[in-house]
Amino acid sequence: MRSEAFSVTAIRHGYCGMDSRIAAIARYTLLEALRTRLTALVLITLLVVLAASFFVETISITEGARFQAGFYAAGMRIASVFIMAVTVLVSITREFNDKGLDVLLALDLPRSHYVLGKLAGFLALAVLIAAAAALPLAWLAPAPAALQWSISLAAELAIVVAFALFCVITLNQLTPAASFVLGFYVLSRALTAIRLMSAHPLSGADTYSHQAIQVMVDALALVVPALDRWTRTEWLVNQQAAWSDLLELTGLSALYVALLAAATMFDFYRKNF
Amino acid sequence: MLALLGVAFCVQVTLQALQPRPNARAEALGAPPAPALLRPLSLGEPIATAQLLTLYLQAFDNQPGVSVPFLELDYARVIAWLTAILELDPIGQYPLLMASQIYSQVPDAAKQRRMCEFVRSEFERDPNRRWRWLAHCAIMAKHRLLDVRLALSYAEAIAQKARNASNWARQMRIFILEDLGELEAAKVLLGGLLESGEVSEPKEIHFLTERLKELETAGKTSVLPESRRGKP
Repeated sequence: MRSEAFSVTAIRHGYCGMDSRIAAIARYTLLEALRTRLTALVLITLLVVLAASFFVETISITEGARFQAGFYAAGMRIASVFIMAVTVLVSITREFNDKGLDVLLALDLPRSHYVLGKLAGFLALAVLIAAAAALPLAWLAPAPAALQWSISLAAELAIVVAFALFCVITLNQLTPAASFVLGFYVLSRALTAIRLMSAHPLSGADTYSHQAIQVMVDALALVVPALDRWTRTEWLVNQQAAWSDLLELTGLSALYVALLAAATMFDFYRKNF
Repeated sequence: MLALLGVAFCVQVTLQALQPRPNARAEALGAPPAPALLRPLSLGEPIATAQLLTLYLQAFDNQPGVSVPFLELDYARVIAWLTAILELDPIGQYPLLMASQIYSQVPDAAKQRRMCEFVRSEFERDPNRRWRWLAHCAIMAKHRLLDVRLALSYAEAIAQKARNASNWARQMRIFILEDLGELEAAKVLLGGLLESGEVSEPKEIHFLTERLKELETAGKTSVLPESRRGKP
């Protein structure tokens, strides 16, 4: 059964307070994901990436464990982001298309509660996926490093979830929303390298065009998180991160998620259905 | 509908069967992407990217259906690849193992010397982590290149710069000056590495032990298996 049907029933029967309406939407969002074979998909992905990492370990002459942990972490990170982003985009698009959202909004439910409920459900899902992805790392890498990697992946997925939610609610269509999410993610992963290239060009540093580009790149860095700082493989294979750094990343993630949630609610309120 | 499916399937299979079979050919090793480009392309995963590039380079001599002798590889390009990999993952030791244990084993003194120079220059960047590859090169310089002065310069570099190296390694100069054969010197080196715990990876121990066995059986002509030897 679909999440909105559950949510409508829960909210219509009035056993929800203001806060528990958000909790009800979150709960059924999570239920919807778990009942649409997402668990199986995550498990299969995990096993495929793990098998590939064993293959990499087999063909390496030395540093086999390092290669295996590095390959698994990088592979599972990108796979988790893909699964999470597509889940958010498809789930919300389906609610738009099925008109379940229209029914929900006809009830005594503030739009902000809908956004917050959906966001909370997807964030819970992100935490579960990050925890599952980190399980094999408990054997492939030191346990504290695996824990740090898992926390950081959950924070990274939270940003992706919030951005995907913002895109799909703003754009209403799956393809443009997915393109924006892909562009945002690639840009944020490459942002530090792009800034370095922009700051230290091999030639033409004094031209107006270069200076304009540099200003643009720096401005972009003010609003886009540099996701290459999150979920770093080197924590697993070289040296684990300082907990203070991890705390900073978690704080930055929370701030960015709040910013995106506010932007989503702002856009959702101005929409006519 | 079923007939359409059957016809389409038959046409597809027929057309594919008529396609010429792929020919195996030794493709030249291309230049690696510039390090400045590799950084953004790695999307913040420099270690995983370096590992994939390493495996690509390692597998290059075994392209589908054809084995490319190392001797035929363009060593300037190989060094460019190894440098790019080390820039992405400076902690990794794999590229230096490939330089000192694989690419330097060709029966071509110029190429051997080139790989040793590469290992020497990379040693300078991180002597405490990379000294053992220079130790391999020191033995090679003495026994393959027959250049005792070069071997001694490597041994002295280890003694002076690799403060964290084992004592025996820092006194390598002694057994380079002694009248040891290549096999004995290699045994001393491997024994020292194992005893000090520098080499603990089972696969690397196996690889190095196999190399010793090859050295024992093949003598000094070449330590590479027949299939890997370059054409004279």
